[in-house]
Amino acid sequence: MRFGMLLLGLVCVACVLGSALPQGKTLEWYLEHYSPRKAALIYGLNLSDVFHSTWFLILTAVLCCNLVLCTLLHLPGLLRRMRDAADSDAVAKARPVATLTGVTQPDQLFERLHMGRPKALEADGRQVRFASRNRLGLWGGTVCHLGILLLILGYVLGQTTKLEYTVYGLPGQTKPVGDTGYTLTIDDFQMGLQDSGTPDQFTSRVTIHNPSGSASERAEISVNHPGSLLGFSATQNSMGNAAKLTVLVHGELYQETVLCQGEYLQLANTPLAIFFDGYEADAPFDDGSVHDVYDYTIYDSSSGRSASDYQLEGEAAMTTSVYEIRFSEPQHYTLLQLKKDRFLWLAMLGALTVLVGLILALYLQPKQLRALEEPDGTWTLYAYSRKGGALFADQVKKQAADSRQSD
Amino acid sequence: MLQAENVLFTITMLLYFAAMILYFLFVVSKKDKLAAVASLVQAVGLVLHTGALICRGIGAGRLPLTNYYEFATGFAWGLSLVSLVFIRKYRFPMLGVFAAPLIFLIIGYAAMQNREVKDLMPALRSNWLGFHVSTVIVAYGSFGVSFVLGAVFLLRERMKDGSFWDKHIPSREKLDLLAYRSVSLGLLFLSFTIITGAIWAERAWGSYWSWDPKETWSLITWITYTMYLHFRVTRGWHGKQAAVFAVVGFICVMFTYIGVNTLLPGLHSYA
Ligand code: HEM
Repeated sequence: MRFGMLLLGLVCVACVLGSALPQGKTLEWYLEHYSPRKAALIYGLNLSDVFHSTWFLILTAVLCCNLVLCTLLHLPGLLRRMRDAADSDAVAKARPVATLTGVTQPDQLFERLHMGRPKALEADGRQVRFASRNRLGLWGGTVCHLGILLLILGYVLGQTTKLEYTVYGLPGQTKPVGDTGYTLTIDDFQMGLQDSGTPDQFTSRVTIHNPSGSASERAEISVNHPGSLLGFSATQNSMGNAAKLTVLVHGELYQETVLCQGEYLQLANTPLAIFFDGYEADAPFDDGSVHDVYDYTIYDSSSGRSASDYQLEGEAAMTTSVYEIRFSEPQHYTLLQLKKDRFLWLAMLGALTVLVGLILALYLQPKQLRALEEPDGTWTLYAYSRKGGALFADQVKKQAADSRQSD
Repeated sequence: MLQAENVLFTITMLLYFAAMILYFLFVVSKKDKLAAVASLVQAVGLVLHTGALICRGIGAGRLPLTNYYEFATGFAWGLSLVSLVFIRKYRFPMLGVFAAPLIFLIIGYAAMQNREVKDLMPALRSNWLGFHVSTVIVAYGSFGVSFVLGAVFLLRERMKDGSFWDKHIPSREKLDLLAYRSVSLGLLFLSFTIITGAIWAERAWGSYWSWDPKETWSLITWITYTMYLHFRVTRGWHGKQAAVFAVVGFICVMFTYIGVNTLLPGLHSYA
């Protein structure tokens, strides 16, 4: 157990590191932001990707083994406690949390304390009343541990076997789903706006086709409403801007294409590439006016640097002695996430099991009441509770006082 | 509706402030009646606070738990609710003396936030978000109460037998159990929070766990309280050590709540 808690503490330390240090950056990035020693340490210890590092995986595996062992080793003790909790003689050996003498109607008190109808027994020739409640609560920890194991197993198996692809595009386009051979046709994409101009909902209508083309499935997918596509679960992850780029050379159409934000067009037979950085409708300007703005960057691979960042207002063109560059027809592209996680159910089952275990452990607190008849005909009541001690004792005393009053 | 919310929120703040002062007067004057009045004022404050949240919900046309202001006022509501339940159920008005300043601090923090009602991004328009945030306010409220109980436990050691404090604060054993009860409630609700949040993330982004700093810190908080349970049940860590743990656990809660949003940007940075 002590080792188990140490492991849990180490998981916490790993979590602190993983949340405090920016994750998934390159060595150059860490060198830029930290001293060379710190950067080397971060990179060397895999602190740049804590949650996928080998040491974190090993830590999780050791935690699981420890949990299995701990639970199994405690099982015989648990079974014994289960048995003992229902056995009046075994319970009598424990230290009571409250003892009441002079009780006249023990059965009534059992009922008032929601202990149900007590068993009538005999011990050493004396009458005994006994009731045990919430024994199931003893299983809380074990059920919780089982849930944690299922959850970790479901998560790790899911992470290692899942297929996950991002597909983005414009209505009318058909895009490959990673390297699976499946293709996704974007039939339609709509973005609803609220009065304030904040997006209300993004909705894509798409059709997926299997590699041989023998099967297809259509679905409507919107934010928070995922769809199912031939076994993939598809979510509407986000959207972005796209626009048509037209390049003229000496006044003649040279190349034309639609670019999504972040895409580029390599100008054929030139060292130039045009990156589309984004589009903003009604962008405010210093003079108080508003214009639609296209942002783009031209890279010149012959000089190995970006030529410049540009902004074009509306349908204006950037013109040089040779080139004329124009963006037009702004539109939205949709970005969908397609995923197959065959172990999602296992992780869910684990989470539910943990919840059940917690409810058992925390809200079904085992308690026992034992009443022993005295030679004078009154009863002495003993209350037992492993976890609820003082509170159960209070409850017993209060009910005893109330029942005396009502007598 | 939003105007009504404004009025109700202001009155709520005043009532919580009044409750805090009344609790203080109870300690100074040692008159039990004042504690009862203070609890009553806090209860009226809670009713109006509920009204304020309902008005905001109607005015905004959604669950009023989606931005800094709404979450802070929700947190104060959760703390007020859970502390009142404990005051009533366990007949422990002195709890209010320690809980009221914390409630006032949190609602004061809420008052300093931007209260404008803004339209929600599509990802935030989900019923799962409703479950996620409603459960977290109860969890945080319960952890707030366990923090107060832990702190009272630690202070209790310095209280002389037979003194006013001694008479009005339950035995150490009972305090310890009350802290355990509030941690239990908090842990159960935090588990619901994490699970409903994971379901929401799965539906919105196709990934139920992405080690976002807020997720990671709620896991740290969850593990910390789990360790508290273990130390209690297996190592017999009752009393002082458990009380220290309850205080440390709440520091994790506060970091998850405020620290992560301000110091560690991530998916939840809008919340
Ligand atoms: C995050 C992981 C864990 C969770 C959520 C968890 C949960 C629980 C819960 C809820 C209980 C019942 C507590 C009570 O009755 O008040 C419990 C008991 C216990 N846990 Fe864990 N646990 C975890 C990890 C571990 C580890 C790593 C160990 C050590 C190997 C461990 C060992 C035990 C033991 C020995 C008990 C006592 C069982 C008994 O009552 O006989 N747990 N656990």
